[in-house]
This record gives sequence, C-alpha cells and structure tokens, in this order.
Amino acid sequence: MTAPAWLDVLNETLDACAAHGRADLAERLRRRRDERAPGTRIAVVGFPKQGKGYLLNALVNAPVCAVGDASTPAVPTEIGYAADPAATLVGHARESVPVGDLAKELEVRPPGSLRRVEVGLPRELLGTGLVLVDTPAIGDPRSPRTAATLDVLADAHAVILVSDATQELQPAELALARHIRTWCPALVLALTKIDVSPDWRELAARNRAALSETGVVADVFPVSATVRQAAAKAGDAVLNGRSGFPELLNWVGEQAARPIERTRALAAAVSVRAAAVELVETLQTRLNAVSQDNGVDQVTLLHQAQRRAEELRRQNVRWQNMLSDEITDLLSDAEYDLRERTRMIVRHIDRTFDEGDPVQIWPDFQTWLEENLAEAVETNYNWVSDRSEWIAQAVASTFGSHYGQAPELPLTGSGVDSIPEVGAPRIERFKIGQKLFTGLRGSYGGVLMFGLVTSLAGLPLINPVSLGAGVAFATKSVRDEGGTRLQRRQALAKAAAQRHVDDVFIRFSKEIKDEVRQVQRRLRDHFAAVSDQLSEELTRQRELIIAGSAERDRRTQRVKKEIDRLAALHRKAGALGTGATPRRELSA
Amino acid sequence: MNTALDVRELLNEAAAHYRDRPHAVSMLRECLERLEEPLRVGFTGTPGTGKSTLVSALAEWPTRALREIELSDTPAPAEHVDATVRLVRHLEPDELAGTRPVGGSAFARQTAVNSVLVLGRADEVGAGRIDALLTAKQLARRAWRENPDCAGFQGVIAVAGQLGYAGRALRDDEFEVLRALASVSRPELERYLLSVDSFVDDPFPVGVPPGSRKHLVSRFGLYGVRLALTLIRTGCESRLKLSAELVHRSGLGDLRDTLAGCFVARAEALKARTAVVRLEGLLAAEPLPHGDRLAARVERFAAAAHDFRELRLIAGIRGGRTALTGEVAEEAVRLLGAQGLAPTERLGLEPDADPAEIHAGAESALVRWRHEAERADAAHAERAAARVIVRSVEGLLSLFVA
Repeated sequence: MTAPAWLDVLNETLDACAAHGRADLAERLRRRRDERAPGTRIAVVGFPKQGKGYLLNALVNAPVCAVGDASTPAVPTEIGYAADPAATLVGHARESVPVGDLAKELEVRPPGSLRRVEVGLPRELLGTGLVLVDTPAIGDPRSPRTAATLDVLADAHAVILVSDATQELQPAELALARHIRTWCPALVLALTKIDVSPDWRELAARNRAALSETGVVADVFPVSATVRQAAAKAGDAVLNGRSGFPELLNWVGEQAARPIERTRALAAAVSVRAAAVELVETLQTRLNAVSQDNGVDQVTLLHQAQRRAEELRRQNVRWQNMLSDEITDLLSDAEYDLRERTRMIVRHIDRTFDEGDPVQIWPDFQTWLEENLAEAVETNYNWVSDRSEWIAQAVASTFGSHYGQAPELPLTGSGVDSIPEVGAPRIERFKIGQKLFTGLRGSYGGVLMFGLVTSLAGLPLINPVSLGAGVAFATKSVRDEGGTRLQRRQALAKAAAQRHVDDVFIRFSKEIKDEVRQVQRRLRDHFAAVSDQLSEELTRQRELIIAGSAERDRRTQRVKKEIDRLAALHRKAGALGTGATPRRELSA
Repeated sequence: MNTALDVRELLNEAAAHYRDRPHAVSMLRECLERLEEPLRVGFTGTPGTGKSTLVSALAEWPTRALREIELSDTPAPAEHVDATVRLVRHLEPDELAGTRPVGGSAFARQTAVNSVLVLGRADEVGAGRIDALLTAKQLARRAWRENPDCAGFQGVIAVAGQLGYAGRALRDDEFEVLRALASVSRPELERYLLSVDSFVDDPFPVGVPPGSRKHLVSRFGLYGVRLALTLIRTGCESRLKLSAELVHRSGLGDLRDTLAGCFVARAEALKARTAVVRLEGLLAAEPLPHGDRLAARVERFAAAAHDFRELRLIAGIRGGRTALTGEVAEEAVRLLGAQGLAPTERLGLEPDADPAEIHAGAESALVRWRHEAERADAAHAERAAARVIVRSVEGLLSLFVA
C-alpha cells in the first residue's frame, strides 16, 4: 500500500515546525500522523454547567456521564463500541468497573490518579468504530482540566461544542470555537436545555450570527436531553423529533460513515493548514521584528555614522586653524612681552648711568641687572607656558567633551640659570700723574697766554699775573678732564649693560620661539592622532553596520523563502482536504 | 454603640487638619452627609446573573426593614456603596475566584463584613428537577462552609430571582390559570410540562389560551410553573398561600432576612466603615505632616468597633467555621444580634418584656458565656468567640447603668 498523499505534506510541515522551534505544533502534527485508532473520534466540549453530560447520555441512551450537581470528572471519557457494556478506568493500570457504578467510582478516585475512562456500549451508532469523547469542562485557561480538554482536541476529527440556551455564546466560548475550528475539520454547536428556554429560537439565530461573525463555519443544533429522555421512555417518535437529537445524531452518523482514510486526510489537511498559519505567523513576527526594530535602527545608525564623519571633518579644519592662529599669536605676544620687559630694564640702566659713576656702583648694579633679567625671562617663560596650556585646552574642547583631555606639555624649563654674567666694562680711573700732567698742560697754556699779554705791558713773561692765570687754568683743565672721563666711563657701562641685555633678549627670544614651536608640534601630533582614531572608529562602525544589514538581508531572505514554502504546503493541504475552495490562502 | 458618633468626631477632626485643601474637605463633608443618608447596597455580577430582577424583586418589597436602604444594580465604584451583593450563576471555582473581595487596607480587610454572595437563577440547578431549589440551597450552604473563596461573605444564598419576583407579585388571574392547570391530573399534564414548546404550542386538555400560557411561562419559567402546580396540588389553595410559599422557596426571603440582619441593622456601622475607608485612602494619598495621630485613631476605631466583630463572628458561626453547633450556636448568633439589635431580640424575649426580665436574662447569659470564655479545655478560637459574645451581653447590661 502506498503512503497517502497527505502524509508527505504533513511530514514536511512537521519538520518545518520542529526546525523553527515550535515543538508544540510538531507534537500535535505527530499525533495526527501516528493515529492508530480505527475509527472517527468526536469530542464533546464546553464550559461548565452547559449540559454536556446530559447531551452525551442522551446521544448514547445510557447514563454513562456524570450529570447534575456532581462535579464532572477531570479526565476524558471515551465511549466506543463493545458487544457488552463495559467501563475501564485507565490510570497506571487498567481497571474494569460496571458501567452503572462509573459515576460513583470516579468520585472516590483521588485526583490525578486516572488518565482516562473507556466505556464500551453495544450501540449501532458506535459500530463503525466511532468514539465519542466526553471532556472535562473548560474553565480557567491555566487549569489542568482545561489543558486535558485542549489535548483531546488534537486527536479529534470532529467536535460538538455544547452551550446552553439560557445565555448567548460568551466571548470565551466563541474564542474556543475558533480555536477548535482551526484544528478540526468539523464543528457543530449543540444548543442545550431548549426545553426550559422560551426564546431558544431567537437565541439560536443570534448564536449562528455570532459564530459566522467570528469566522467559524459551524451548524447549530438546538437540543433537549430532557425531551429526548421522555421520548425514549414513552417510545414517542414525534417527541423524539422535538428533542432535536435526530438531526444531531444524523450529523454524528455522517461523520462516522465517512471512510476513516478520508477523515484522516481531512483532519491532516486542516492541521497542516493550522500549523502552517501559526508557523508563518511566528516567522512573520520574527521578520517584522528584524525589519522594523533592527532595520530602522540600521538606517538610523548609518545616518548617525555619516553625520559623525562629517562632523569630524569640520572639526579637523576647525582645530587646525585654531592651533595655528593661537600659536602665531603666542609667538608675537611672547616676543613683544620679552622685549617690553627688557626695554624697561634698559631704560633703568640709562637712568642709572646718567647719574651714577660706574666706578662706584657697578657691583651693585650687576647684581640688580642679573636678578631683573632672570625675573623678566622667567615671567615671560611662565606666561608662555600658561598660554600653551590654555591653547591645548581650547583645541581639545573642539573635539567635544569625550576627547576633551588636553595633552601634557612638559616645557623644558626656562634656562634662567644659564644667563651669562654681565661682563664689566673697562673703566679707566683718573690717576694722580694724569691729573698732574693735565694740570701742567693747563697751567702752561695759562702762563704763556697771560705772560704774552702782560709782556705787552712790559712785564716779564712770568709774572704773578701769568702765574696766577696758570694756576687757574691748571685747575680748570683738571676738572674738565675729570668730567670727560666720567662721561666716557658712563657711556662704556651703559653700552656694556645694554649689550648684555640685548644678548639675553636675543638668546631667550629664540629659546621661547623654539619652545612654542615645540608645543605647536606636540599639540598637532596629539590632536591629529585623536582625529585619526575617531575616524578609524567611525569607519569600523560603518563597516559593521553594513556587514550586519547584509547578514540580516540574507536571514530575511531565508525566512521569506521558508514562508513561501509553508504557503505552498498550506495550498497543497487545501487541495488535499475538503476539495472545496480554500477560504483564505497564505501569502508571504 | 457610639460608632457613628466616633466617626463623626474623626471626620470633623480630619477636616480641621485638611482645612487648606478644599477637595479633601469637600470629600470629608460628603462622607459626613452620607452618614445621614440611607445605606447603599450595590448588586454586582456578570451579565445574565439576574441583578435587575433581584433588585426589583427586593425593592418593591413592602417591609420596613428594606425601606431604609438604597439598592442599586448599576455598577458603582466601591466607595459609593456601603455593602455589596455579589451574584454568580454557578458555584464553579472559576466564577467564585473572581468574586472574592480583594485587597484594601488592613482596616478594610479586617472589617470586610459587607458582602453577601448570591447563587442567582437557582432554579436552573439540576436541569430543572422539582427539587432544584433545595439542591441549590444545599450547594450554597456547602460552598459557604467548605469553599475558601466563600469564607469572606456574610452569607451564601441560593435565590431564584424570577420565581421569587413572580411569586411575590402573583396576580389573581395568574393564580386562576395555575389552578385550572392543576386541576388536570398529573400524568396527563406531564407531557405538556416537558418543555416550553409543548407547554405553549400543543393543544391543551383545558381551556387555557396559548397567550396566557406563554405569559405564565415567561413570568415563572417552566420550572416555576411546575413548582406552582405541585404546590397547588399539595395544599396551597389560595393566591396568598401560593405566593408566600413561592417566595419562601425562591430564597428571596432568606436574602431579605440576611440583608436586614447583616446590613440594615448594622447600617450605622457599615456607613461609618465606608467613611473610615475613604478617610484612610485620603490619609494615604495626601499624608498630613502630623497625620500619625489621626491614623492611630482610625486604627483604634477599627479595633473598638464591636459591630464588625459581631458580624464576623455571626458569619463564622453560620458558615460553620466555629465549634459552636445546634442550639448553642443559635443562642450565640442571637446574642450577637443576628435577629435584631434590640435587647429583647438579642435575648430572645417577647418584644414587650419588662426591664427586670431583660436584666435577668442578660445576667444569666453573661454568667453562661463568661464561663465559656474562661474554660481551660476549650480551644483558643472558641474562647475568643465567647469573649465577643460576653462583650455583646455586657453592652446590653450597660444600658441599665445609664
């Protein structure tokens, strides 16, 4: 015998479910595949107190299900054919009890000790291998009873949903109907207790409308177990007709009469379609998550990176300009400052030697000059150092707070110690001999001059007058000579001091300029490195982003392909199943 | 009892503390005014549990007991009702889990003696068998005793609202139709009572037009019609008798008595409770700089309000959660004021009993329950219960001192 066509489709879907981490769906499909029971299974489900037990008892005309105030059992009851009535409790072991004692037996069993109950009845209806499954009432979605019922649905080929005629279908019941319809090929609603409801016809109509609004294809069969029971007791066929049960039984018969292979194909088709839809939803969600969350982020990130690169470029221009401007300013300011300071010193030197005699004041002056020059140079140097640091900070701040750490600027030191000593000028003193000689020279001129004049008056060349004049001249000459010599000394000292100051200025202005250039170089290197690092990071980031989105594209493509495959499975299952036109096809 | 007096003082003091916050003051004023108004009882439950039917069945009740309360079947915020009647259709665990009164402050929980659970549409229990109402009553009683979800209620009562309402407002013409139907022999009528369809549509053995049959079944329900016919056959030959019996069986009377005993008689305490709960909410939401003293007074109020202790103990005894049973339990709940707060009602004396008789009765009860309260062999819970009763009886005797 060749494997039925639906098996391949089912297996393929099962594999897909397992591959995509939906073990729950895979398990349900596996149960569809591995069914070994010979006949159609119809599950009867509903919320509490809807008359499920009465309905089942009326269907098989036997009191097999607990009814009324007794709480309904927490395990499913499977009712199938047996030549003699029999009931079996299936727990760890199988235990037979009389059908009549079933309800009583169930009540005394500790909860959780049973898995299911099997009941066999000699009914023609069940002869084809049909199994009716009574399920625990659906309630709290988290309770084990509800779970047990939903578990039964995975094996059911058809479902009778029970809801009574005292109230319209509740939202929870409609949701249950929709859930059932996705996994079972056939679903009907049994509207029970129509005997006590004056307006069950309107209610049935409203329920039909509600079901079709929810998108559930299901017939509604209004029934009354009470009327059916009375009819059975009286043997009244008309009354039985009124109970609504003949129609319901008719439907059950149709389900049972269909060849089991056909039924299984239908069930497999519906299950595959449900699984495919769920799986596609899962994948679609994943796809959306990828393309929405990350995708949007991707673009944003790229934009951000782009913006930051441009920012960096502008920043580079900015800091370079700033650095060179500041350094130029600093150079000229530093030179000016030093010149200003030395000029002050020179002015003081001038004043000092305009009056003082270098012979007397030189030692004091030398000390003063050295101190003042050292101070001037040092102040200038400190000032340059402060300015350099300020420049470093200012440039760093153009990189924003993150890179705002300025580099250390270890200046080499002012070198004040290496200022040379001031060379003392050659000072000539006005010695006694020189004074004598100068006096003689002056007196000689005076004697001669006045001697000649007085000789005209008949006086000898050397006479008291000329001698007197000679003395006067000698004195004046010595004095004049002394003044001249002082001036010369002063000029010499001034020149010497000024030359020294000039030397110091030239030397240190060069030194300072070198330092500043050094600073400039160091800052340039530092910030160039920072900038390089930033741009490298940006490049890496962009590469990562681009690589990431390529990977995502590949993944998205894979998921899309998978969705296409599932959609194809869904279509195939549709063709296998009802043969009717599928309501809605999947699309990727 | 000076519960109401205490709470007025408390609210006035709070208003003084909050005088610079107008909305708080107006809220407190509203609380004070509420104390003068009737007790508000809210009916809650999912749609289809029969709230409106029950409210109209009770509201039009011509008794003094219920005239002083205001019943409402529209959902209102918890702070706008003083007591609650919760309706469920079935005593299923899922449904009950949703009805349990929740949370609130320690005071609110400790004094949660303001709700009653009603199993509405009790006639639907047991697929309309004739003993449906009895079964429903048993179910309710069992749930109250055994189900932890029902422990917080002052009562769990099965009520067939529609039947009770129809029975209370039973008209002469309706009674006549019922009597005519009852005249047909039971076996003969049985098949017409099988379903609403057969009752309304089929050709009938007696001349009751389909219109009135339809009216009857819409008023009483099929179960109600069956019950009424059975009652007429077994002796309720007059409209009044039938009416009384239907009301009795419907559980409406039980509900009314519980409302009267637990809510109406304790209206002052319950209204005070609402006010204190609201005051507590205010203190929590807008704490006062020196609010501790006020909060302490609220706490003391809860501890001192004997009404709440009495109500809790009544529910405990009736719900079978104490060791007291039988006549002793009856006496205990009576002394606690379950049947009325008047001294004669508490002591089970005639309403016109003279003071000497009342004094004697109270003293003998005091001696008996003091003994219970001091019995060394009794469990702690029993002795605590006895002490509450002693305190109630002492309250009675204190009337004589004044």
